[in-house]
Amino acid sequence: MIRRLIKDFQGDVLAIPGRLIALVFLLILLLIPPITREPYILRTLIFTNIFVIFAVSWDLLSGYTGQINFGHALFFGIAAYTSALLNTHLGWQPWLTIPIGALAGVVAGVVVCLPALRLRGPYLSLVTLAFPLILLGVIFAFSDFTGGELGISGLDRISNSRTVDYYISLLVMVVSVLIMWKLTDARSSLVRTGVIFHAIREDEIAARASGINTVRYKLLAFIVAGFFAGIAGALNAHFMRIAGPSNLDLFLSFQAVIWTVFGGIASIYGPVAGVYILYPVMEFLRIFPEHRILIFAGIVVLILLFMPEGVAVWIRDKLERECPRCKLSNIAFRRTCRACSTSLY
Amino acid sequence: MRKKLIFSSITCLLLISLAFGACTTEEEVNTIKIGVIGPMTYVQGEHHWYGATMARDEINDAGGITVDGKDYTIELIKTDSNEMLSPTDAAAAMERLITVDKADFVIGGFRTEAVFAMQDVAMDYETIFLGCGAATEELCTRVADDYDTYKYWFRITPFCNVNLVNNSLMTLGTAGAIMQAGLGLEGSLKVAILAEQAEWADAMVAAYEAYVPVMLGMEVVGTWRPSATATDVTAELTAIEDSGAHLILTIISGPVGIPYARQLGELEIPAASVGINVEAQKDGFWDATEGYGNYETTLNTYAEGVALTEKTNAFFEAFVDEYGETPTYTAGTYDAIYTLVEAIERADTLDTDALVTELEKTDRKGAGARLVFMGTDTDTPHDVTYGPGYATGIATQWQDGEMKAVWPWDWDGLTYEGTVMWQIPDRVINKYTQ
Repeated sequence: MIRRLIKDFQGDVLAIPGRLIALVFLLILLLIPPITREPYILRTLIFTNIFVIFAVSWDLLSGYTGQINFGHALFFGIAAYTSALLNTHLGWQPWLTIPIGALAGVVAGVVVCLPALRLRGPYLSLVTLAFPLILLGVIFAFSDFTGGELGISGLDRISNSRTVDYYISLLVMVVSVLIMWKLTDARSSLVRTGVIFHAIREDEIAARASGINTVRYKLLAFIVAGFFAGIAGALNAHFMRIAGPSNLDLFLSFQAVIWTVFGGIASIYGPVAGVYILYPVMEFLRIFPEHRILIFAGIVVLILLFMPEGVAVWIRDKLERECPRCKLSNIAFRRTCRACSTSLY
Repeated sequence: MRKKLIFSSITCLLLISLAFGACTTEEEVNTIKIGVIGPMTYVQGEHHWYGATMARDEINDAGGITVDGKDYTIELIKTDSNEMLSPTDAAAAMERLITVDKADFVIGGFRTEAVFAMQDVAMDYETIFLGCGAATEELCTRVADDYDTYKYWFRITPFCNVNLVNNSLMTLGTAGAIMQAGLGLEGSLKVAILAEQAEWADAMVAAYEAYVPVMLGMEVVGTWRPSATATDVTAELTAIEDSGAHLILTIISGPVGIPYARQLGELEIPAASVGINVEAQKDGFWDATEGYGNYETTLNTYAEGVALTEKTNAFFEAFVDEYGETPTYTAGTYDAIYTLVEAIERADTLDTDALVTELEKTDRKGAGARLVFMGTDTDTPHDVTYGPGYATGIATQWQDGEMKAVWPWDWDGLTYEGTVMWQIPDRVINKYTQ
C-alpha cells in the first residue's frame, strides 16, 4: 500500500515539473513563519491566500465553464456581509460565520445562475455585472442594519496570532484549490465534472445533444464558485475586521479577471500563480507610490504581450511536454513518453 | 533576444526597488518618524501631504524638538493608502508604515471604511493615529466603547458629520433672515431640498425634512435627488421654481455641483442656494460655471482673509504661496503635527501612553480652529469639540468672482474677522421686488 502510494507520488508529482514546483512552493509557504514573523509579510501572504481562493473560483466558473462573470465580487461581498452580521448581531464565532457566509455565496450563486440559464456571452456578463450593484443598493437601503457606506466594523478576529491566521488561510487555500482542481480535472477518474465543464464552454448545444444536463452542471459551477468565493469573502471580513461596500466593488471583480488572465485562464494553477505574483508585486511597488499603478499595469501588459496564455501556462509549456498518444505530461527534455514510450518529437 | 532584454529590465527594476526599499527601512538617529497616510493620487491625499510638509519644515527650521535633553527632527513618511479603491490595501499600507517604515506616529486617512480598517491596525500596534479626513462619529464612539484599545485614536479634522447638519441649518437660517429683512417677505419661507443620490446624503435629507420646519419655521416644499454625476438638472430646477421655493438647501459632493450652479444662474431660478456644494469650495468653480455660479453658498473650511484663529491667515497665505491652491480640510495635518509636537514637548517623552494622556489635555489654537478633544466621559472621546470658541467651520458665498466667508454670522456673538454679509441673489431680488 505504502509502496504503491510512493510510486503514485513519484509518477503523479515528482515526474511532472509543474506539480513538483507546486509542491516545493507549498513547502516554502509552510516554512515562512519559522523564517520570518514580520507581520507585514504575513499579512500580505494571508491576503494572497484569500485572493487565490477568490480568483480560482472565478476561473472555475468563467475559465472552465465559460460563464463569464464580471460581478464575481457579489459572492465575496454577500459572504462578507453575512459573516459580519452574524458575528456582530448574534455574536457567532468566525468558525461558524465563515461557513455560513460561504453558504450565502451558494445562494447568491443560484440566484445569479437563473439568468445564466437563458443568457450567454456578453449578455450574461452584463447581467452579472449588475448583481453586486443591486446588492449595494439593498445595503444602502437598509443602512441601519448593514452599516450603509460605513460597513460593519469591529468583527471578531479568527485568532490573536498572525502566524495562526497565516496557517489557517494557507490550509483553507490549499484545500479549496485542491477541491476546485479535482472538480475541473478533465482526466479525473473520480468526478466527471471537469470534462463536462469543458464541453459546456466549447459547445453547449453539442453537450446537451450528448445527453448532458447542462442546466444542472451550470448550476453546479455557480454553486461551487459561489461557495469558494464566499469562503474568501468571509475570511477577508474577519481578517480585516470589517465588511463594507468595497467588498462588492467592480474593481474587486475585475481583479479576479486580471489575476486569472495573467496566470493563465482555465488552468486553476494559473490564478494561483497570478495572485501569488501580482498581489505581492503590488505591495512591493509601494516604494514607488506615485507610479505604482503604472508600473503594475506595465508589467501585466508586457507579460501578456509575450505570454498571451498567461505566465503559468507559458512556464508549464516550457517545462512539460504532453504525449501525443496517451496525453500524459512529461518533463520537457524527455525524448519518449515515460508511460507509453511514444516519441515526444 | 528581445524577450531576454525585457526580462532583464524587469529584474533590474525589481532589484533597484529592493535597494530603495532597504534604504527606506534604515533606522535613523534622533528623528521622530511621522507617517502621512492618505489617497495620495487625489486632492485629499495631496493636501494631507502639503499640510504635513509645511509643519515639518517650520518645526525643523526652528530647530526641531527637544525631548528628554535630546534634539529631534521630524521625518515624514509619505504613504499612499489607495483607500478610494481598496480598504484592504489601506490596511496593508498602514501595517507597512508601522512595522517596516517604523513610523512612530501616523496622521491622515480619508475614506471612512478604510479608516476603520487602518484604525484597527494602528491600535493593534498601540500607535497614535491622528485622523485628518474621516468625519464619522463611530470612529470616536469606539474610544468610548473600548478605551484601552482605541485610546490611541484622536480626530484633528473635520468635526463630526452630525454637526454638518447643524451648520447647514444655521446658514440657512441666516440666509432666510436676511431675505425676509431685505425683501420684506412675510410668513414662513419655502425651502426645496436638492440632494445628490448618495447614501451619505440620505440621513441628512431626513434630518432636514424633520428639523427645517421645527427649528427654522420654514416649509419644506419638496426634495429632489439628481444623480451625483448628472450634467443637466433643468427638470429639477424647473420643478423647484414651480414649487415657489425661496431657498434651495443643497447636499452635493459630486460633479453635479457645477451644472446645478450654472443652470441655476442661466435659468434665473428665483431661489437662493445654501448648503453643501463641494464643487463650490474649489478655486476653479467660478470659471467652470462661467460666472453663473454667483451667490452659490456652501459650507467650507477656509476662506481668504478670514481668521478662524490668529494662525489661520499666515497658514492660508503660506499654503497658497507654496502650492497655488486653497487648502482643503485634509490639510489639517498641519495642525495635527503641531498638536503632536506640543504634546511631546509637554510630556518630554516619546512614550505612547504618556502622550495619550498629554494629548487629552490639548487646548491649542491651530490654523483651522481651537482644538480641544472631547473628554473621556463623553460619548465621543478624542473627537473635536464643536461650537463657538472651538471648531465651527464656515460657510462661503461666491460674490462677483470671489469666495467670501458669510457664516458664522453672530452665532452666539461669533463672527470671524473678514466675514461679510450674505448677499441675496439678483434674480431673487428681481422676482420679489417687481
